[in-house]
Amino acid sequence: MSVVDQKTPETAGNTDEQVEKSLYAKAAKIYPREVHGLFARLRVLGVLSLLGIYYITPWLRWDGQQALLLDLPARKFHIFFITLWPQDFIYLAALLIIAGLTLFFVTAIAGRIWCGYACPQTVWTEAFLWIERKVEGDRGRQQKLDAQPMSLRKFRIKATKQFLWLAFAGWTGFTFVGYFTPIMELGQRLVMLDLGPWETFWVIFYSFATYGNAGFMREQVCKYMCPYARFQSAMFDKDTLIVSYVPERGEPRGSRKRSADPKALGLGDCIDCTLCVQVCPTGIDIRNGLQYECIACSACIDACDDVMEKMGYEKGLIKYTTENTMHGRMSHIIRPRIVIYGAIMLGIMALFAWSFSQRVSLGLDVIRDRNQLYRETDDDLIENVYTLKILNMDNKAHRYSLRVSGIEDLELRMDLPEIRVESGGVLELPVRLQVEEDELDARSTEVKFMLVAKDDPALSATETARFLGPH
Amino acid sequence: MAQQIPRSQKCIAVLWPSFLVSIVATGLFFSAFDPADLYPFGKDTEISRLGIYSIGFLFFWLISTISGIGTLYFAITNCMRQDPGNRGR
Repeated sequence: MSVVDQKTPETAGNTDEQVEKSLYAKAAKIYPREVHGLFARLRVLGVLSLLGIYYITPWLRWDGQQALLLDLPARKFHIFFITLWPQDFIYLAALLIIAGLTLFFVTAIAGRIWCGYACPQTVWTEAFLWIERKVEGDRGRQQKLDAQPMSLRKFRIKATKQFLWLAFAGWTGFTFVGYFTPIMELGQRLVMLDLGPWETFWVIFYSFATYGNAGFMREQVCKYMCPYARFQSAMFDKDTLIVSYVPERGEPRGSRKRSADPKALGLGDCIDCTLCVQVCPTGIDIRNGLQYECIACSACIDACDDVMEKMGYEKGLIKYTTENTMHGRMSHIIRPRIVIYGAIMLGIMALFAWSFSQRVSLGLDVIRDRNQLYRETDDDLIENVYTLKILNMDNKAHRYSLRVSGIEDLELRMDLPEIRVESGGVLELPVRLQVEEDELDARSTEVKFMLVAKDDPALSATETARFLGPH
Repeated sequence: MAQQIPRSQKCIAVLWPSFLVSIVATGLFFSAFDPADLYPFGKDTEISRLGIYSIGFLFFWLISTISGIGTLYFAITNCMRQDPGNRGR
């Protein structure tokens, strides 16, 4: 079942071709009217907290270094007390899967709540709209200004807006790069105009993307570019929360005096003030039924409730509801879809938590010396040479003890008095294994290297290699 | 309908999905290979890791864009063949 298919009588007349034409028509600029009310306050709360998290996080410190640093140049991700390495990429992939499943789960229950309150596209568009309103004035003034021919005043206002937009976008781009290279040094180098070519490229790239998406593309991103907007209807059912107009109550719509009795005039509760259309950031008329453009921001609910209050009518002509409730049936929160999405989500979360807790912050690789198969020492022992690569992925330095097994009386020789690796360091350690020729049964025998941290037996790694001899 | 799609939307339809795909490709490729271990055409490059990542990303984007253009071209020409009367731009 798709949202676009749920037509009320008003939209049922639209042929597919009309819908398709409107999809490809050149988009006219939408001037959403400012709205006040419960949901508008919730969205401002969402926008401010998310923007706050985005702009502040890279400046947080933990143990004397940046708390969240996806250090691409050093191939290490620092997330507070955890350090992730390229071999931990699987955890990142698992996190993305969990995020996706959570989105499915939330969508099935609460509809496109993500779109209306938390999507970066919404968040930055709100911020850009706020700047636009501060500079150009409300919807009416903006439309009037745009209709005017260019004048010194218009140029001044437009230039101010563009400057503020660009400055905000620039700061956004700088912050973005600050997640990938240490932001303190990045800031210092920015002030000294000494950014590297690629840092400069990414600051400009991300700033430009922010400026374009939030300043100009806006609702078109949701309509034409967003994959989620296209497939979210697959998660919908008749119990999913949607924003909807109640036609039974509102129709027939028409203007009237506040004192007039709508029943006597044969009118419904909708006074046809079109405020719900004016506040809509995607420029649709919610009274035409559920439409794929609707991002469930509920600006129309706030606007309409306000009007209903002024008219002395009951609120909720446009409201959050479900298809079942609208048709007088019971709505259920717990239903097979929710249980299945929830079970998969929790299952993967548990698997992730378990596997992450089992993660060992120690890497061991054993590379046989390829130049010679084996060598006979002066004391008639058979010797193989290996290079061990020891990677300490923990947050502190460790001393390790190394053992080998697999052949009786196998001797381990190395030049270092002890194995010590700094946090985040890699040690290349050449070692020699020696054994009496009599102990070897075959040309090639498997040997096992076992590395254990001296201060923490849980930090251990085992790796196998071949020992070659003359037999 | 294919002829009525504005050019800007065609560009978005090609550039945007290929952008997303190249992010994934870059992540997968460079988590498996350290740029410092790579010797393209047997040469040691003097570009920083950030530079290699960026070039890698742009390269993946280029490749997937070319593929996207191909898909769009075949889809549109196929539409035109099925509806020969409707020839536009």
